[in-house]
Amino acid sequence: MKPARFEYFAPESRAEALELLAQHEEAKPLAGGQSLVPAMNFRLARPAVLVDLNRIADLAGITVDEGLRIGAMTRQVALERSADVAHLAPLVAEAMPHVAHAPIRNRGTVGGNLAHADPASELPAVMVALGARFRLQSSAGERWVPAEKFFLGLFATLLQPGELLVEIAIPAPAAPSGHAFTEVSRRHGDYALAGAAAAVRLNQHGECVDARVVLFGVADGPWLAVRANDLLLREKPDADRIAAAAESVRADVDPPSDIHASGSYRRHLAGVLTRRVLERAFSRVRVSA
Amino acid sequence: MIIEGAQVFAAAPDVVWNFLMDAEVLSRVMPGTRDLRQTGDGQYSGKMAVKIGPITAAEFVLAIHLSDMDRPRRYVMNVDANGKLGFTRGVARVTLVPEGAGTRMDYRADLQMGGKIASVGQRLLDLVSRTMLKNGMEALVAEVDRRVAEGSAS
Repeated sequence: MKPARFEYFAPESRAEALELLAQHEEAKPLAGGQSLVPAMNFRLARPAVLVDLNRIADLAGITVDEGLRIGAMTRQVALERSADVAHLAPLVAEAMPHVAHAPIRNRGTVGGNLAHADPASELPAVMVALGARFRLQSSAGERWVPAEKFFLGLFATLLQPGELLVEIAIPAPAAPSGHAFTEVSRRHGDYALAGAAAAVRLNQHGECVDARVVLFGVADGPWLAVRANDLLLREKPDADRIAAAAESVRADVDPPSDIHASGSYRRHLAGVLTRRVLERAFSRVRVSA
Repeated sequence: MIIEGAQVFAAAPDVVWNFLMDAEVLSRVMPGTRDLRQTGDGQYSGKMAVKIGPITAAEFVLAIHLSDMDRPRRYVMNVDANGKLGFTRGVARVTLVPEGAGTRMDYRADLQMGGKIASVGQRLLDLVSRTMLKNGMEALVAEVDRRVAEGSAS
């Protein structure tokens, strides 16, 4: 279990890292190494060059400005324990304990998790539900992209060679809002068989003005339930409406099968989990409003 | 693992049939395939490099054998791919049916995978197969459209 040979760079600054990534087309950025390093040890991945981002201090940290700004190299554990995250992005705080296991969260980074784009990963779904925006930088410049455009499919993102995800911006919740997260896995910390994240908003009449339900583990990336949102908009979210939204998800997803769960079981889960997150998200709005 | 589906092409069955037998077309549309050559009647060999996310090192020696050919209606495609990281074997039954001025292709493939890739990546095999199939079908549709457009222009 040793990786194939590779060239290793440990730049001290962001500019230096971007320059190295521009020079070496075959380079892989190394963040927390919780997915890349095992893949290298199995020799499924043989990057010729690694650019280690761990010494670049200004890539990590959580700051508050209107919403949240999270550096891509922020450890997952920092997100889990941050009072600012609990206050301004409670959906993230609720999801974090489900992201792998504690030792992995100690080392794993937020940006690494997102850029890896595993189809069963929690954080991509949470970021899409929250309408987060990602800042991508390269030696040629930078761009901001919405989370829902960033994820292109199985381990595929908008990131171009030489481009680095450097920061995540999460808007502050516009009250009265609610959120909920849930997943089903065989053991806590395993890859989820299926999961759902929801962020909802009501107006002063108690009518839904926004309901973003995002499933994971049921497609090749985070799956935004567009039709569920349409079914809930401008309506009071009663049990019938929520059931209709859940049924639309059950009907629309086409989940994969593996030895742990069949596609049809995942489809069933997708409907049930959608109902649960919507019930909980809307009930939380009423509590806080 | 069973994968099945259908795809519609804007060309008649005998035209689509010829494309599907053409090593150059197959090489262009099968993801990661290179050096695909026809080695005999319905026999092809080449190499395939699968690149999905962190998996960048999966190289396979590819052998394709077509059998039960009933031009231009149906055939069976036997695929055998072997590499250091594992193997894939598959049998795909392909049927071409005229649909309007075009052709509908129905396919049903039974795939077996083994080795390191299959044991480490079991959870992802279905998605990987679907992704490769989707990319392959999109490329095939584009290639058929391109060749039909070229043919009608000349």
